[in-house]
Amino acid sequence: MARPVFGRVRAAGEAGSARVTHLDRDRALVEEARRDPASFDALYRRYLAQVYSYAYYELGDHHEAEDATERTFLAALANLDRFEERARPADGDGASTFRVWLFRIARNVVANQRRGRRRHPQAPIEAAALVADPLDIEGGAAVRDEAAAAWQAVGRLPADRRRAVVLRFVEEMSTAEIAGVLGRSEGAVRVLIHRALRTVARDLGRDGRPR
Amino acid sequence: MTLFEREGSEVEALLTDRYLERVLARATGGPSSGPVDALLNPVLRDAADQLRRDLVRVHPSFRFEERLAARLAEAAAALRMPAAVGAESGVVPIGVLGRASVEGDDGDEGAYLFDDGELDRRELSRPLLIGGALTSAAISLAGAAWVAWRARPARRGSAMVRAARAVREARLAAVHAGRLD
Repeated sequence: MARPVFGRVRAAGEAGSARVTHLDRDRALVEEARRDPASFDALYRRYLAQVYSYAYYELGDHHEAEDATERTFLAALANLDRFEERARPADGDGASTFRVWLFRIARNVVANQRRGRRRHPQAPIEAAALVADPLDIEGGAAVRDEAAAAWQAVGRLPADRRRAVVLRFVEEMSTAEIAGVLGRSEGAVRVLIHRALRTVARDLGRDGRPR
Repeated sequence: MTLFEREGSEVEALLTDRYLERVLARATGGPSSGPVDALLNPVLRDAADQLRRDLVRVHPSFRFEERLAARLAEAAAALRMPAAVGAESGVVPIGVLGRASVEGDDGDEGAYLFDDGELDRRELSRPLLIGGALTSAAISLAGAAWVAWRARPARRGSAMVRAARAVREARLAAVHAGRLD
């Protein structure tokens, strides 16, 4: 489960309505890394798997994902002084935590890489084997098949929906965070994910209609 | 799409969002079901459950992790070096680099490589000392040698050049003296 980057607070005078506020849990590490760039290592270790996963789902290739991950972290380190936390409630839409900022860099790096090769990525189906229990041969095969079908269905989604789904399910980001990464409103992100789920359900034959 | 349909779709998107919040919270002991779950289309619930189960996070290899860590440590050391040894010297800021392109494979508006809200320009906020003190000294030595070469006294030229120059000067002198046409 995602760590609680975004929390809910009840504003004074607001009866029954909750307002989302944004708490950058990386603030201390960011400040330390600004003072001493060698301390960036802690942020790197914390987010390596997340950035790599995102790149892998987007690019469908381990080597390309490694390349994108490397570019992302080098760019983040070199531009850390430019990161500006806007995570108070008063900042409203467009709030930005370090994680959101990092994923915006990753998103752009990956987009550049995808554009460079000019072909649609293939769903990395072999990775679906990771989902299965290696000790359960028979059941494992079924799980693998299901996982491969899910990965393929997500891989066939339009780019914006696919990104939103990966950020929601793999990176376990909140709607507000995804909105920050994709530069959309929270409402638009909700609709993107809802439509993506409908498409995936249809693709997986869960809506009763033949595929 | 009618207004009614659009509002219905937005309400369903909101229900989906609430359901996903709960699905993702289950791993940390959150409630397994909520009051609005029954309102959400079961087909969407099943699809969400499957994606939650099957879309796993993928970790890179340990070798890659350590290699990149070493690369970042080198980069961090290079960032520290200017402040440590180059602060007393003059540094030249690199100006606007221009748009650093991107996105676009899905028709999104243009984005920038390091966009954090101020997207109209890409500017290095950090002055640059190439490679720190050692490179700066090398550049200074090379520059001094180049300036000395450019400012050296009149060029003598080779023996052949000197001979040609002497012949030309002799001919000019002869012309002035009226000995040649």
